[in-house]
Amino acid sequence: MAEPVIRRKTYALVYIAMLALTLATTLLAFLNMGPFNSVVALVIAVIQAALIAGVFMHALYESALVRIILTGSVLWFLILITLTMTDYLTRSH
Amino acid sequence: MAETIQILPGREALAHRHHFATPEQQRETVMAGMWIFLATEIMMFGGLFMAYAVYRLGHPRAFELGSADMNVVLGSINTALLITSSFTMALAAHAAQEGRLRGLAWLLIATIVIGAVFLGIKFSEYYAHFREHRAPGVWYESKPNEPDPGGVEMFFVLYYIMTGLHAIHMLIGIGIMAVLWLMTLAGRFSRVYHSPVVVSTLYWGFVDIVWMFLFALFYLPGLHQGR
Repeated sequence: MAEPVIRRKTYALVYIAMLALTLATTLLAFLNMGPFNSVVALVIAVIQAALIAGVFMHALYESALVRIILTGSVLWFLILITLTMTDYLTRSH
Repeated sequence: MAETIQILPGREALAHRHHFATPEQQRETVMAGMWIFLATEIMMFGGLFMAYAVYRLGHPRAFELGSADMNVVLGSINTALLITSSFTMALAAHAAQEGRLRGLAWLLIATIVIGAVFLGIKFSEYYAHFREHRAPGVWYESKPNEPDPGGVEMFFVLYYIMTGLHAIHMLIGIGIMAVLWLMTLAGRFSRVYHSPVVVSTLYWGFVDIVWMFLFALFYLPGLHQGR
């Protein structure tokens, strides 16, 4: 597969979006939303991670092999979280 | 515009090693290898994020109190700096792909400088915490009437381990980029051969991704309770 070359304009748009998301997540953290504070912070962090991986790290433009490795490692991490949480969240203290 | 592509005598082999059938196969192998390394990194940081999740579930209030000790101004400046350095590094990869070697050298320098400023700010934060006696195992004192002092201390334990491991990754990254800069000056890269630059961009992007989560988990939780 030929090397993907991403336009500099795309990089610049992602850069601006990343800064805007950082500002948004910081300002939103000042509101008291109860448990949704963490949800909002994590959702924005996941969007930022996806932007970096997808564009700055070219994952969106790479071969299926790379995308399988990336999906597999994220999936494995989610298994770690899910199985541990099924334990800790169902304990009676 | 694009400078002349120079491949020094004897270095042509770098574009396409003999054990690969095509340059494309070589490139895909490099990318797959780097992503598999990053998968192991996700596992390493993943275990720490898992530990954070378990302790935060057990001590939700203490983690908000610990987080209130963070300097969110410095933290968000550092976040913006790291995003900027990922941007300059992505542009460095772009310059390498187009064979613009002078641009590549300067973008590597920019990335190194921004990364170093990030680390300087990070260490000034560590120093401030240390002066407030918030360094578990070294010099730690709970605040008077602090509820769940053990939970707050655990917040700081995880804070130092996770941001510390991240800072070590940044130091390694700065070292890698210094080597890339020397290789660029030595004429080792061209429009044909530049995979070390692209692969290092992946590493630097991963370090940036980890920070996005560290920022969300350590700096933000304490903000909403009014400082």
